[in-house]
Amino acid sequence: MTDLIIPGTQSVPDVLGDWQAGILAMNGDSYPENAFSLFDQIIKWVEKYLAADSRALSLELRLIYLNTSSVRAMMDIFDLLETAAAGGRRVAVNWYFDSANERVGELAAEFKEDYTFPFHILPVD
Amino acid sequence: MIEQPSSFDDRIESLLRDAQYLDHPLRKALAQLWAQDRERLERLERISLIADGYHRIAIDGAKSINQRYNQHLRRLEKAVRISDGYQQMMRELCAKLEAAAHTDQLTGLANRRLAFKRLGEEAKRTNRHHQPLALALLDIDHFKRVNDRFGHYTGDEVLVSFAQAIRNGLREYDLCARWGGEEFLILLPNTAAAAAVAVLHRLQEHIRALPLAPKGQTLSMTASIGIAMYRAGEDISDTISRADDALIAAKRRGRDCCVSA
Repeated sequence: MTDLIIPGTQSVPDVLGDWQAGILAMNGDSYPENAFSLFDQIIKWVEKYLAADSRALSLELRLIYLNTSSVRAMMDIFDLLETAAAGGRRVAVNWYFDSANERVGELAAEFKEDYTFPFHILPVD
Repeated sequence: MIEQPSSFDDRIESLLRDAQYLDHPLRKALAQLWAQDRERLERLERISLIADGYHRIAIDGAKSINQRYNQHLRRLEKAVRISDGYQQMMRELCAKLEAAAHTDQLTGLANRRLAFKRLGEEAKRTNRHHQPLALALLDIDHFKRVNDRFGHYTGDEVLVSFAQAIRNGLREYDLCARWGGEEFLILLPNTAAAAAVAVLHRLQEHIRALPLAPKGQTLSMTASIGIAMYRAGEDISDTISRADDALIAAKRRGRDCCVSA
């Protein structure tokens, strides 16, 4: 219905919510001055998408650095997915990271624990 | 023997029903007492039931608050743990960048930036403790010929061998930096002029004996060195400038020698 487009900056990730494709992509670093206003839009989009119909949702993440507020907000988004998955919805996270920076993959793994929906951490050369 | 409550109840009820006691003066009183007792018992049961209900609500409430609290605590701990991880990642990155900013990529020696930082620090220390500080500029003789003859890739390899030889020929606390193309800056803290000359002569011998064999051809290299002693209170760039003049003098004198400013 509506796509979500947030152009990235040095401190804000590129965000593209593709309603038709059922994909929410986030690329870059996230340490925005106002994390609430950034993630509020994203969380609302996810909630709207999950409430609208029963199509699958896939998060395609290429996030590198996250500050504390962004970590919390991402956990909120993953919680929404977990709840949706418990209700039978098909949801998934694909978190891509540069294989030269293992740390990013390790931190993605820390996010992953506790969640039961498909959460893939994928190294990219 | 104590009668069972139910059989006692049955007995009272059958006494009250019994026709022969119908006119008994105590029968009415017993009937009243019995009714009152029933009523009280019923009220007591209702009160316990309500009290138990409230108790249960309170327990359930406390349980759910406790549960939610623990859930929040777990989430918070997770967020903190992940956040610490990101902070650690930034610190590591920062350290890497700092090292990269201070290192000459080819030779792994200190670069000009770090050299200037150390020069400033050593000059200050020298002024404070009145210890001698020697500074030398070393230039590989006819390095251009190596590049011309063997190509830049081999030239770079020779530079790396040179850098290693210089580093190995110095003491732990001496500084060796790549100053320019084939020029190196050497800083010898707490070293008097005579001792500095001795160290650098030895270094020149090392360099002459350096087993260089680019593309299978034996190559013998030499270096010219200009030495200057730091003068208390002077700007370190003046010391560098005098060392540079001494280096030019060494080149003019026919190379492969040390000249002191």
